[in-house]
Amino acid sequence: MSSLTWIPFWVLFKREVHRFLKVIFQTVVTPLITASLYLLIFGLSLNIEVENVSYLAFLIPGLMMMGCLNNSFQNVSSSIVSSKFSGELEDYKVSVLSHQQIIWAMSFGGVIRGLVVAGVTFLVGQFFYYHSFGSFLSIHSPLLLFFFLVVGGLSFAKMGLSVAILAKNFDHMSAFGIFVITPLIYLGGVFYSLDKLPVFWQSISKANPLLYFINGVRYGVLGVSDVDISSAVVVSLLSLLFFHLAGLFCFKKGSFVRW
Amino acid sequence: MQKPPLVIQHLSKNYGSLKAVSEVSLEIKKGEIYGLLGPNGAGKTSIISCIVGLEKPSSGQIHLFGQEITHNHDRQSKLKIGFVPQEIINHGFFTVDEILGFYSGYFGILNNREKIDSLLKDLQLYEHKDKKVKQLSGGMKRRLLIAKALVHDPSLVILDEPTAGVDVELRNSLWELVKKLKDKGVAILLTTHYLEEAEKLCDRVTVLDRGQVKATGETQGLIQKLTQRWVKIQYKGCVENIEHSYLVSKQKGLLELRIPSSFPIGQLFSELQIKKEDILDLVISEGSLEDVFKFVLHDKGENQNV
Ligand SMILES: Nc1ncnc2c1ncn2[C@@H]1O[C@H](COP(=O)(O)OP(=O)(O)O)[C@@H](O)[C@H]1O
Ligand SMILES: [Mg+2]
Repeated sequence: MSSLTWIPFWVLFKREVHRFLKVIFQTVVTPLITASLYLLIFGLSLNIEVENVSYLAFLIPGLMMMGCLNNSFQNVSSSIVSSKFSGELEDYKVSVLSHQQIIWAMSFGGVIRGLVVAGVTFLVGQFFYYHSFGSFLSIHSPLLLFFFLVVGGLSFAKMGLSVAILAKNFDHMSAFGIFVITPLIYLGGVFYSLDKLPVFWQSISKANPLLYFINGVRYGVLGVSDVDISSAVVVSLLSLLFFHLAGLFCFKKGSFVRW
Repeated sequence: MQKPPLVIQHLSKNYGSLKAVSEVSLEIKKGEIYGLLGPNGAGKTSIISCIVGLEKPSSGQIHLFGQEITHNHDRQSKLKIGFVPQEIINHGFFTVDEILGFYSGYFGILNNREKIDSLLKDLQLYEHKDKKVKQLSGGMKRRLLIAKALVHDPSLVILDEPTAGVDVELRNSLWELVKKLKDKGVAILLTTHYLEEAEKLCDRVTVLDRGQVKATGETQGLIQKLTQRWVKIQYKGCVENIEHSYLVSKQKGLLELRIPSSFPIGQLFSELQIKKEDILDLVISEGSLEDVFKFVLHDKGENQNV
C-alpha cells in the first residue's frame, strides 16, 4: 500500500514545517542575533588567522553548523514534548503512522529549520565578511556543504526525538541540553582548530562526532578541515545510522502517554 | 457471515497491583450502539485504551473483525477504528481545518476536502474552521475530537465520554450523528455519564464497577429484569383493609406499589381485591437504566447477565 507509506509521512513532515513557519520570525531572528553577536565579539575583535584563513571566515561555517544542529534538535524535541503535553502524541499512536514514518518525517522537518538557520547565519557571515574584506566569501563545495548540513541535522533531529520520547518532564529535556548538547557543540571545534589543543585533548575530541560535522561544513565552505574529509563523510553517515536506530529503539521503549 | 466488529474475551488490565479491569468480555455487532457504563474509575477508559492500542492488556484477547489485535495493532486494523479520547487535545497553533487535513493524512488520505466539509457541517464546526483550537469553546473542542476520529470513515467508532461538558442541544445533535453512523452500519462503543441518553441510544450496555462487569445485556432487557415498576392507584373506596406484600404506602386514597417488571398487572389487581369502579386514576412508571445502575452498584453485588 503505497498511499499508506508516503501520505502519512508527507503530511506529518508538512505539519512539522508548518509548525515552525508559524514562528518564522523567531526562527530567523534568533540566529540573526546570535550569529551577529558571535561574529562581532570573536570574528571582528580577534584579528588572527587559523589554518591560513581569517578567524572571521573560520568562524562562519562553525556557527552555521552550530545553528543547524541546535535547531534541528530543538524543533523535533519541542514538537514531541509539546505533543506529549497536549496529548497529540497519543493520536499518532492510534493513527497508521509507523515509528519509521514519524522518525523520518519529524527529523526532516527539523532539518528544514536547521537549514533555514544555517542559511541566515551564512548571510549574516557574508555581511561581516564583506564589511571586513570588501568581498564575499565563496563556497568551496556546495554539495559537501549541503551533505554535512543535512546529515548532521538529521542526526541531531533524531537525537532530539529519542531524548524527547524518553523524557518524563521538561527538566529532563533541559538537562540533556545543558550537560550533553552544549559541551558537545563547544568542544566540537566551532571556535578553535583542533591543533591548538594539547595532544591528549585532541584524541578525546576525535571521539566527538560533532567534530566531523563541523569540520565537514567548514570544508564545504572554506576547503579547510582539521580532519580527513572522507572520514568525516563516513563518521557522519554512521552517526546518522546510529541515531536512527536509537530513535527506533527509544520509540519502542518510550511513552506516547500524555503528561 | 461477517465477523463481529469487536470481540473482547476475558480482558484484564493491571497497573502495578491495581486491577483496573478484570475478566471483561463483550461483543459488539455491526450497526450496534454499545454502552460501557460505570462510575469514575470503573475501568472504561482502560478497556478502550487496550482496544485502540494505547495500553497493553495484562491478559485476555481482543478481536477486530475476526482478526486478533491484542498485542498487534497493524495498519489495516487501525484504519478500521475511529477513536475519540476522553481528554481534550490542545493542538497549539493549528486551525480546525488544518488539523482535520493532518489527520486525514495520518490515515493515508491526501485530499479529503469533501469528507472534512461534511463533518464540519454535521458537527456544527463549519463557521469555526479557521479558528485555532485554543480559540474554541470546550464543546467545540470536543466536537473537533469527534470530527478527527471520523475523517477516515472507520467501521468501529469508539467514543470515550464524547458529551462531557457539552450542552443539551449539542448533545442531542451529537447523538443524532451517532445514530446516523449506526444506520450506515458502523459499530459504536461509547461511554457516558448521561444514563437517560444511554438508555435511549444504546442497544446493549455493560455496567462496570471497579473493573468488574456488574451487568450486561440488552438495555431494555436489563431494565425489565433488574428494575421495579411503580404502580400508583388513586382509589375512592376504603383503603384501610387493603394489604399486599408489594404495597409501599397507602394514604388519602393513594396506593403506591413497587412490583417486579415481570409481574402481571392483572394478577396484582385480583390479589389486591379492589373494585375497578372505584379506581379514579392509575399510573404505571417503568424502571430506568439509572435504576439498573443503582441496583447493581449498591443493592446487589453479583454479576447480572441478561
Ligand atoms: N496509567 C495509569 N496508571 C495507573 N493507574 C491508572 C492508569 N490509568 C487508570 N488508572 C486507574 O485505573 C482505574 C480505572 O481507570 P479508568 O479506566 O480511567 O476508569 P474510567 O474511565 O471508568 O473512569 C482507576 O482506579 C484509575 O486510577
Ligand atoms: Mg474514563
